[in-house]
Amino acid sequence: MADLLAIGALFAAIALASLLAARIGTSVIPLYIIAGMAISPAVAGELVVGGYDVPAIHSGEFVEIGAELGIVFLLFFLGLEFNLDRLVESRSRIFTAGTIDLAVNFGAGLVLGYLLFGTPLAAFLLAGIVYISSSAIITKSLIDRGWIANDEAAPMLGTLVYEDLAIAVYLAIAVALVTGGNGVAGLAQSVGLALGFILLLLLVVQFGGEAFERLLQGSSNEFLVLRVVGVTVLIAGIALAIGVSEAVAAFFVGMAFSSTTHVERLERLLEPVRDVFAAVFFVWIGLETDPVLVAGVAALVGIAVLVTTPTKLFSGYLGGRAYDLGPRRSTRVGLGMVTRGEFSLIIAAVALEGAGGTLSAAVAGDIYSFTVGYVLAMSILGTLLMQYSEPFERVAVERFGTE
Amino acid sequence: MVSEAKADAMDVIESDLPGVGKKHEVELGDGTSLVIVTHNTGQRELYLKPDDDSDSEKLVELSDRLARMVGTILEGAYFQPVQSEHVETMLTEGTLLEWYAVEASSPLVGETLESAHVGRKTGVTVVAIQRDEDVISAPDSQTEIEAEDTLVVIGDRESCDAFETMLTGDEEEE
Repeated sequence: MADLLAIGALFAAIALASLLAARIGTSVIPLYIIAGMAISPAVAGELVVGGYDVPAIHSGEFVEIGAELGIVFLLFFLGLEFNLDRLVESRSRIFTAGTIDLAVNFGAGLVLGYLLFGTPLAAFLLAGIVYISSSAIITKSLIDRGWIANDEAAPMLGTLVYEDLAIAVYLAIAVALVTGGNGVAGLAQSVGLALGFILLLLLVVQFGGEAFERLLQGSSNEFLVLRVVGVTVLIAGIALAIGVSEAVAAFFVGMAFSSTTHVERLERLLEPVRDVFAAVFFVWIGLETDPVLVAGVAALVGIAVLVTTPTKLFSGYLGGRAYDLGPRRSTRVGLGMVTRGEFSLIIAAVALEGAGGTLSAAVAGDIYSFTVGYVLAMSILGTLLMQYSEPFERVAVERFGTE
Repeated sequence: MVSEAKADAMDVIESDLPGVGKKHEVELGDGTSLVIVTHNTGQRELYLKPDDDSDSEKLVELSDRLARMVGTILEGAYFQPVQSEHVETMLTEGTLLEWYAVEASSPLVGETLESAHVGRKTGVTVVAIQRDEDVISAPDSQTEIEAEDTLVVIGDRESCDAFETMLTGDEEEE
């Protein structure tokens, strides 16, 4: 199939998926993944309709780079919306709620990962995958359900801010561990490089504010977008070239831009750019997924869902209590935080990098397929839990009272 | 972050919604509060919260443009039920941006900004004159003031009060 035609079909599939998501009132992420799976060689490629082979779309260089840009822009936005002052301002509550969330879910993930996959690195990856909630889906659901105007929004968004910072550090270490050399010395070197790079970027964020401000001064919308994309993708590319996570680099570049006076304009102008490439990323995830392999790890996904739904409910509930909310609203915090999504998939993509190296190809493939199945389940389950929160709230009030 | 608004001990609670925008909660006095969610995209959502324990009920969703228009109406720019001859906006603490209508009876009609010594006597700066459909921005000292003009001035409250006195000609009557 001609290249442009294939890309056109890919974007058409994305558009159809988003349309369907809007129609049935669910998040776009699971549908993008399913759309990707549907047009992949593993599904469409195997289909024969009326004697004709159904054409499949292969993930060529364009789709892979597009997916990478999706990761870069997702993390860039996280940095752009990340506000260190805000974190410091309400640090004690965010710190309490966020640390409970991290300890409970990352801890449970470590144990679960070690039991299921048997290696420390796989356990570390799985811990990240089940720890990190989906900012994109949760924020959107908060708005759709009108909870955004209620008190439960504060602990949810606060915990997400904590998770955002945690995931930036986590990704830097995960990439170093997965792509790093063998042996203690090689590992120490790559982790050292990653942490050194973070430190350097933090210094840029701290002292480079004025330079970033000057860069954007007096620019039209067109120049603004071009300059920011130019800076962000270049720095992400440099990071990747020296073996550091491009996502983490993008996060800190976003953070640097967030201190400029142009931050609101940037968010408005770059949102469509992020949405396009993020959609390519989710479809790419689907393209790389073989549904048969996902079915093969269905039991693992089932166990993970059974274990990590209650852990998020528990940590979210405690997080709500840390914000002085009553049992009813704290229950909502727990229900809302169940959703996992984009960041778990980014970690899965990292795991794939380690196939045949630090991870055996079988384990890397299993983690990848597991994550796709897990995110599909948790993104839908989380949205449903928020939609039908009332029975849970009633139980909580009956058990714990109203205060 | 809690910022107190002035007058009637109104409490406005401002809080950040990371990734979404900002939330302002305005207590309406009878236990209910009006919740305004301003999205980074400019979209505004208005909610009414019957009391502290209840869920907010969504009233309306406004685009940035609509929200500004509604805001202007609420501010009284189109119609002021309470007699007030001018509209004011606080630029910073202590500095006001005010609109004054020039009535035909005003002693300033026919004077220029220079001949009336507006700046020297009152301390305000006339930054624009609205005349019919036109806006004369940064009028120079020779610009003549006409009846039916609207003068846009900047100054501290004292200067603005002095200007209002000059404009209405009250000082001569007293």
